[in-house]
Amino acid sequence: MGTRGRVIAQSRRFPDEPLTVPQPALEPMQIDAAPEENDNSVEEPVTEVMTACIDLDSYIASYKGLGQLYRLMFIAERCPPLRVEALKMAIELVQSTFNVTMYQTLHRQLQEALASGQSLPDVTGQGGGSAGALPLLDQQWVESQTKRAALKLEKLDNDLKNYKSNSIKESIRRGHDDLGDHYLDCGDLSNALKCYSRARDYCTSGKHMIHVCLNVIKVSAHMQQWGHVSSYVTKAESTHDENESAPWRESVQTKLHLAAGLLRLRHGAFELAAKSFLKCSFDHCDLPELISPSNVAVYGGLCALATYSRAQLKTDVIGSASFKLFLELEPQLRDALHRFHESSYADCLRMLDEMRDTLLLDLHLSRYVRQLYAMIRNRGLVQYFSTGALNLQIIIIIIIIIIIIIIIIIIIIIIIIIIIIIIIIIIIIIIIIIIIIIIIIIISSSEVGNLRKMAAAFNTTVPELENELMGLILDGQIQARIDSHNKILYAKSVDQRSQTFERSLAVGKEYIKQTRGLILRAAIQASQIAVRLPRREDIQPMDASQDGTE
Amino acid sequence: MSFPLESFVNSVKTLSSQGNLSCLYEFLENSSEMLSKNTTHLEAALSSLELGQHSLGILALLLARFKAGAGEPATLDRQMAEFVEGCAVDQIRYAPDSYAELCHLYTKKLLERSKAIKGLRVLQQAIAKIQASPNQLTSIHADLCHLALSAKCFRPALDVLDVDIADISKENGKFESRHLLLYYYYGGLIYTAVKQFERALFCFEIYFSVPSLSLSHIMVEAFKKHILLTLILRVEAPPPKHCYSEVARTTMGRRIRPFCVPYVELATAFAQRSPEPLLAVVTRHQEQFARDQNTGLVKQVVASHNKMNIQRLTKTFVTLSLSDVASRAQLPSAQKAELHVLGMIEEGEIFAAIDQRDGMVRFQDSPEQYAAPEMVARLERELAQIMALERRLQQLDEEIQLEPQYVQKATKTQHEDDSGQACSSSQNNKVANNIM
Repeated sequence: MGTRGRVIAQSRRFPDEPLTVPQPALEPMQIDAAPEENDNSVEEPVTEVMTACIDLDSYIASYKGLGQLYRLMFIAERCPPLRVEALKMAIELVQSTFNVTMYQTLHRQLQEALASGQSLPDVTGQGGGSAGALPLLDQQWVESQTKRAALKLEKLDNDLKNYKSNSIKESIRRGHDDLGDHYLDCGDLSNALKCYSRARDYCTSGKHMIHVCLNVIKVSAHMQQWGHVSSYVTKAESTHDENESAPWRESVQTKLHLAAGLLRLRHGAFELAAKSFLKCSFDHCDLPELISPSNVAVYGGLCALATYSRAQLKTDVIGSASFKLFLELEPQLRDALHRFHESSYADCLRMLDEMRDTLLLDLHLSRYVRQLYAMIRNRGLVQYFSTGALNLQIIIIIIIIIIIIIIIIIIIIIIIIIIIIIIIIIIIIIIIIIIIIIIIIIISSSEVGNLRKMAAAFNTTVPELENELMGLILDGQIQARIDSHNKILYAKSVDQRSQTFERSLAVGKEYIKQTRGLILRAAIQASQIAVRLPRREDIQPMDASQDGTE
Repeated sequence: MSFPLESFVNSVKTLSSQGNLSCLYEFLENSSEMLSKNTTHLEAALSSLELGQHSLGILALLLARFKAGAGEPATLDRQMAEFVEGCAVDQIRYAPDSYAELCHLYTKKLLERSKAIKGLRVLQQAIAKIQASPNQLTSIHADLCHLALSAKCFRPALDVLDVDIADISKENGKFESRHLLLYYYYGGLIYTAVKQFERALFCFEIYFSVPSLSLSHIMVEAFKKHILLTLILRVEAPPPKHCYSEVARTTMGRRIRPFCVPYVELATAFAQRSPEPLLAVVTRHQEQFARDQNTGLVKQVVASHNKMNIQRLTKTFVTLSLSDVASRAQLPSAQKAELHVLGMIEEGEIFAAIDQRDGMVRFQDSPEQYAAPEMVARLERELAQIMALERRLQQLDEEIQLEPQYVQKATKTQHEDDSGQACSSSQNNKVANNIM
């Protein structure tokens, strides 16, 4: 893909590198230089976004709790211009919780960010301009919060013990839940997870069970333990509670769809992710710890764009009443989707490029942006080519129809020998033919296989387009061949007969080889030959002088 | 002539005339020590025996002479040739092991004197004499191939190699796995030398199907060549499905792999489109390749990589300028590209035409329409081959079914409903059924 205007990228190791020296003279590099590795265990080089236009206040308002913090931290990490602002905001937010460790780390990061910002003011200029002096580490707050957290923990622990001695299941469950909430508040995710999952043993109804599952899903998602998420999503899906009202069930369903979608996205299963996101209902989309409705639109839209066929896209995404509401939140993506469907790929790709920076700052999507974009592009190329083939078919069909019409009319003429009518009919025929010819001219003028036009449609140059097409042809996604001289893409005609011959000859050859091997093997077995440990040491490396090279 | 030899000659004469050949064989076995002590008088004893009637006796005497290494090499060669020419087949069938040993020794002697070419005819004859059927493998096969390789004269060996082996001579228990492995290793080398790579590949694939409890050097060397050949042929090496379970094969591969790291690296580098990694591997392991005497094959692998890149172009382009061919196939210049393309057209690997005027290459589809009489003939030929194989399989199957051991086992398993302990022959049968 071509150079992407404003994005300046730098390969970096994530995450522990303190973001000290954002070099002022970064090399503008093609953003998709290296192929994406979508294995969760592998940390890939991370791109930094130097220019981004996000209003942090409104962006963060659609999330809650830890979701906010993690997203802010992610932005701070990836986007130097917004770093200071994001960190400050995060500190503000964290001060309303018991999360003392997080406060301390954030503060340290802010310190570093400011220090580097002062040494290189041109980079963090816009963001750090209003930064002012470094806020002091509020030691007093830290101490008091720690103390209060400990007190609360003690109280909750005591409560839980009381409940346990009374052995009232419902109270014990609540006790565990409260304890989990508190741990979560303190940022102790693994303990929170423990408490939440312990509550499972004290569930009395399906509703409680689902509650537990959702809690666990949230915490595991924060901990990036997607395996956990997947097992609890299935668990929650298999739990039914007939007594509950329909809206409640629907909201649970949506939450589970959200979680499942996120999970599949993180596993790189984009088609399944798109399916999950498309199933969400807008009214019940309420999982602010992890995901906001506009996220749903972006994730779902992009995944669908990358994996769905044109027809699917039309019915399931653009035509879907519920997903339309999501898309309203992201007008840019909606327009891109429509453009894609209307086959104006250049517009669509340009719009997507404009969104790229914002997407790269998204906690979940960031690492897949490159891959998704490549997939969307390829899909566009394939569709561009296949719609061309379709046009040819249409022309043929129209010609056949003309012939049929003419024949029918001739028959009619023979039957009705009234001259006036003939004249009228002939006039009609002439009119019809003229109209059809005009249609054919219009259709065939959009010459499909012309690489120059195609390159223009995809906003790229002909050689690059050739390279992309070559990859697609070798992958077997397009049945075509390129005429590099005249810059035309030809559809490949497949000769079934010779292919059959070719294949059957190959199969025969293989069969002969296999059978020979089999007979030999049977002979070896029959004479009980096996390579055993040599009794003598005389099996020497052989005279291998004749390797057929001279 | 000393006394023990005289009595030896006498007993040989009497036993031969009586036709009591198995007794004679045992007697010869026992007297071999005595013969080795009296090497000086063997000449006289030999002359007193008649070739047509006392073949076994002469065999024993010759063997003793070869073992001792006594006498003029030229006379020995002559005697050997005479013996092979004139010996009675029904007699030597009783002592295939001594016969084979004699041939081994003869081969060794020839190789020592680097007169390999002399023995080719003799051994070819020797094989023809001892074989029960033309498809029988004997341990002399390996010797013949070895001599052919040393003499760089492949015709006699190819005649033998082109016959499919369906039976293995037991040679009174003296036939070792080594002979089989060596035969196919040398066979593979010979086929490689005459550039019949597919047959060569088949020879090297045998190693996957020989049951093995340990690893032999021959197998490791064969594995290396196997990797190189699959790269040259650009085939996905589907390790033979017949005969061996997936598990056994993978463990086999795992055991050999550590011995051939450079080759495995070569294969991974080959899979990439750009030639740099491949060349890097080649230069890095140059020494190892040279030590294994595979340098020439490695060079062919590199050439094959270039060809692969060009072939890839034919699948995607209708026309392409030569300079584009060079840049896409990562060749140094348009001239080089032209040479490569030309070479490939001549070899029939691609179908294309070069337009000198504007420097364009036009790739075409294969002109083969599968309508010519030659194609029909080829089809018929292959069908006949397959049907012959089919019959052979049927026959094997019947043989197995009629084997008392198998019948016994089969009825037993039916009774006890215990299929875990099925004998190897029944496994064979199963495989045979599967493939049909």
